[in-house]
Amino acid sequence: MDDLRAINNDVESNATKISAKNVQVYYGDTHAIKDVNVEIKEHTVTAFIGPSGCGKSTFLRSINRMNDTIDICRVEGDIRIDGQDIYDRNIDPVQLRARVGMVFQKPNPFPKSIYDNIAYGPKIHGLAKTKADMDEIVEKSLRRGAIWNEVKDRLHAPGTGLSGGQQQRLCIARAIATEPDVLLMDEPCSALDPIATSQVEELIDQLRESYTVVIVTHSMQQAARVSQKTAFFHLGSLVEYGTTDDIFTNPKDSRTESYISGRIG
Amino acid sequence: MTDISSGSVPLTTNEKVQASLGRRRRKQFILQGLGIGAISIAFLMLFILLWSQIATGYKAFMQTNITLEIFIDPEEVPTERLPRGNFDDVLAAALVANLPGVDASDRAALRSASGILSNGAQFDLRDRIVENPALIGQTITMRMPVSDPYDQLYKELLDRETPENLRRLDDAQIANYDHLVEIGAIGSRINTGLITNADSRFPELAGLKGALMGSFWALLTCFLIAFPLGIGAAVYLEEFAPKNKLSDFIEVNINNLAAVPSVVFGLLALSVFIGWFGLPRSVPFVGGLTLALMTMPTIIIATRAALKAVPPSIREAALGVGASRQQVVFGHVVPLAMPGILTGTIIGLAQALGETAPLLLIGMNAFITSAPGTPFDSATALPTQIFIWADSPERGFVSRTSAAILVLLTFLIMMNAIAIYLRSKFERKW
Repeated sequence: MDDLRAINNDVESNATKISAKNVQVYYGDTHAIKDVNVEIKEHTVTAFIGPSGCGKSTFLRSINRMNDTIDICRVEGDIRIDGQDIYDRNIDPVQLRARVGMVFQKPNPFPKSIYDNIAYGPKIHGLAKTKADMDEIVEKSLRRGAIWNEVKDRLHAPGTGLSGGQQQRLCIARAIATEPDVLLMDEPCSALDPIATSQVEELIDQLRESYTVVIVTHSMQQAARVSQKTAFFHLGSLVEYGTTDDIFTNPKDSRTESYISGRIG
Repeated sequence: MTDISSGSVPLTTNEKVQASLGRRRRKQFILQGLGIGAISIAFLMLFILLWSQIATGYKAFMQTNITLEIFIDPEEVPTERLPRGNFDDVLAAALVANLPGVDASDRAALRSASGILSNGAQFDLRDRIVENPALIGQTITMRMPVSDPYDQLYKELLDRETPENLRRLDDAQIANYDHLVEIGAIGSRINTGLITNADSRFPELAGLKGALMGSFWALLTCFLIAFPLGIGAAVYLEEFAPKNKLSDFIEVNINNLAAVPSVVFGLLALSVFIGWFGLPRSVPFVGGLTLALMTMPTIIIATRAALKAVPPSIREAALGVGASRQQVVFGHVVPLAMPGILTGTIIGLAQALGETAPLLLIGMNAFITSAPGTPFDSATALPTQIFIWADSPERGFVSRTSAAILVLLTFLIMMNAIAIYLRSKFERKW
């Protein structure tokens, strides 16, 4: 697995960005997430891996309170970003989601122009005062989303007309247009072909400089390629959490080892 | 496969499949035949409906007219007495001038001959002269509709072979008519009065303007009430309401409401809008309120279906960048659902346009000879006008009823065509 490590990362020195303590998530009577404790470091790509239905996406969605939109879903425990409890009464989920961007499994651009896709977030949050400000935000976001060169000549063409990989990078650019601290990605490459996947992975690595990235992935190779820290979930529990190197080369738990070597999953 | 004990040659899978193929093909053939049969019967019915209405109705789109040179006698129509005057005598004189066989001093013969002029002709003449009194003393040329029996005669709906005492026109009247045809005074034109006139007791003067305006005001009222209320209710139920027993109960009842017979809505409107609120009878506004009650469930159901069809990924995308629930719904979901909502609304309005029973109950089947200028003037609507005409004894109303049905069908087809156009134009591929 050493050959998959493109970059050597010393992440242990980074400060903690997101800390979860005793987090429980229930869907009705189903106990989907059981007692998860995790500390996610700043400017790090953290991968959540695990077999289907293990709760990794559920946990990811409780970090920006997307689970609030599901009536029967209930979150208990303590999730803090920069020390602030995000389930506190005083926290508006709308405000939280401006700080915690999210990229979804299937590219989901709005059926609007590329420009409007990026401008939507800044517009509703009032981040740009003038048209020039907005143009600047759009260009900056598209550049960071590594898609500027491909779309700069057709900013007013519909976003849905782009290819799958371009759409996903557009969605990443849209998520970072509101200047979030944290970027959550729920299997961002599962609907993409290998070339688009490698472009998105490259982008994720660049994003680490400015954001804290949490990525859910089904592909262990992808986790190994892009992340510095990895968390392995199984049946709603966090089984093991550590540097990606350690998880892949020297797993402590037998379940982690079984999953990594392909025996469960 | 290897049933050796029976001694028969074992069938291979391929042979077994072969054996069943014929049966399967036959079944499919029968099913297709039934489908084609069903469609053929449906089309045949539609054809019979349209054909029967067109065959009787097309004649009402033409109107027989008589053109006369009229001398406006200052003796009969003195300027100072306007708008009063003996306009009918002026007309009769002009008519008799063209009929050498009629003795102008014989009152009975004169009355019998002038029956060819429509009852409305004198009023048309009066209006023309009141507008321009300088015409008094001059001779003017005027074209006016002939009365119903002569119109029927021209259209060959009145049989000359019928014995005289059973006919609506006697031999002398027919002779006069033939003479007028000969000198070219009688002709046929497109019947613009069918659209521009309001209702009348005389078929040759009766038109649909009152009914069209009545339907227009009623539908406008219906749309302005049912559209915002329907969308509001649907958006709340679909996007904001908590999913519990109460919202389930409301949902079931809205679906039931869509199936309530329309006559019940008519009774409700009669007792509530007219009885309690004291709104006037026979007015399109009350008709529109009644139709709105009926259309609302249709709009709610269509809107909810359209909202449900918006993919959740769009909601997630908007929520993900920090849009509030209200921004997600009104900024993304409702605009994307709009084609579906509009289609449902137009179909609901088309239903409302053809609805008769509730309008009968609130009195929109009254005999009203002027078109409504506002939604608060008494009026009929297209379907109730058809009902009134179908009930009238005059022969001329038979073809007019069919013509009115064709006009109503034209509007319905146009509305449905708009719905189809909107659906195909704004249809999105996800």
